[in-house]
Amino acid sequence: MARIKLGDRTAFEQFYRATAAHLLGVILRIEPDRARAEDVLQEVYVNVWRAAESYDASLSQPMTWLTRIARNRAIDELRRERGEPVTAQRADLTAGDEEAEDDGLDRMPSDAAGPLALLEEAFDRAAVTVCMGELAARSRQCLALAYYDGLSHGEIASHLNAPLGSVKSWIRRALGTLKNCLERVAPGLR
Amino acid sequence: MDYGRRTLADRLAAEYVLGTLRGPARRRFERLLPAHRALQEAVARWEGRLGRLAEPVAPAEPTPELWWRIEARLFPSPSVVPWWRRVTAWQTATFASAVVGLVFGVLLLREPAVPPPIIVVLAEQPNAAQAGLRAAGFVASLAGDGKQLVIRPLDQAQTRLVNRAFELWAVPPSGAPRSLGVLAEGGTTTLITPAFLRDAAALAVSVEPPGGSPTGVPTGPVVAVGALRS
Repeated sequence: MARIKLGDRTAFEQFYRATAAHLLGVILRIEPDRARAEDVLQEVYVNVWRAAESYDASLSQPMTWLTRIARNRAIDELRRERGEPVTAQRADLTAGDEEAEDDGLDRMPSDAAGPLALLEEAFDRAAVTVCMGELAARSRQCLALAYYDGLSHGEIASHLNAPLGSVKSWIRRALGTLKNCLERVAPGLR
Repeated sequence: MDYGRRTLADRLAAEYVLGTLRGPARRRFERLLPAHRALQEAVARWEGRLGRLAEPVAPAEPTPELWWRIEARLFPSPSVVPWWRRVTAWQTATFASAVVGLVFGVLLLREPAVPPPIIVVLAEQPNAAQAGLRAAGFVASLAGDGKQLVIRPLDQAQTRLVNRAFELWAVPPSGAPRSLGVLAEGGTTTLITPAFLRDAAALAVSVEPPGGSPTGVPTGPVVAVGALRS
């Protein structure tokens, strides 16, 4: 990232090669149309290059920053094409979803990849798994629908056939529980 | 809405990162984000908590054309040249004539056995204006024996920062830039040069908090760049 901020195109291409497949996977969950998902991905990298200056290494890891930009773009794209909400074929959310360990991030270059940083990262990852396990099934399902599939409160409510108010409070409770648990288990995550 | 209230800011940031903050509330939040440090920090914390959820998502390889499309949009000219090599012939020539006198003067004062110093002009970048600087060119002189580097702004009166500092970086041909040190305010700075400067492809000056980058890599805008040839 430091080199991209300096305007190094080669570094930018390497960054693209290392991250694009993971990001496209994330976008495809929210925007299942392949062509539109690739358009979103294109916008993301154009933005990253132009906004690299605003990336603050003291605030976030490059990958979490990039993931946020990608998810925001995908959600914006869905919002834009509203009128035909995409709820037709949602992937099954089994309890095992969070445990799937095929992540690819291990091969990702990190700006801070000392052995200690790697250890802390492995620890934080385990903490997230533990804390997701503390959530009630309903809360976890709401969180997964919102995070992976980019559904709004209303869409989650109709997907689960549950009242909107319940969905909102399940999500609020899920976020609160997750936060408290992570603060307890992994203070490093802040 | 009072976004300054911590719990509200935290709740909004959580729903924003999760993606359930929608409609006008989402747009308002995005508008406020760049100016509110507290919001940015709350968002970053939630990215840390929720970001790992994205890890198990199966990757999907984009079509090869996608990179070409991105390249075509960002870099309309076909060549892909790192920025330090773009500081090229004509600029070098322009500055060379300007510094010949200086080099000559320095040479006359030196012992004949010592190799001449290398003069590097760090050209002002477009970011300088955004950082509120009226001028941001620097000239650096690397001693012939390679032990010392002296750098000063071309325009000492106009190249000034308030509550921030200039930091000098050695940029290797690959890998992250490495700090050479924070520059003295508004004057000449003499730095003892570390060994890694020998491999550097360029020098760069960025704007950092007082005392220098807290992270060890440039965090602020890069305002001046100069190619190094040894």
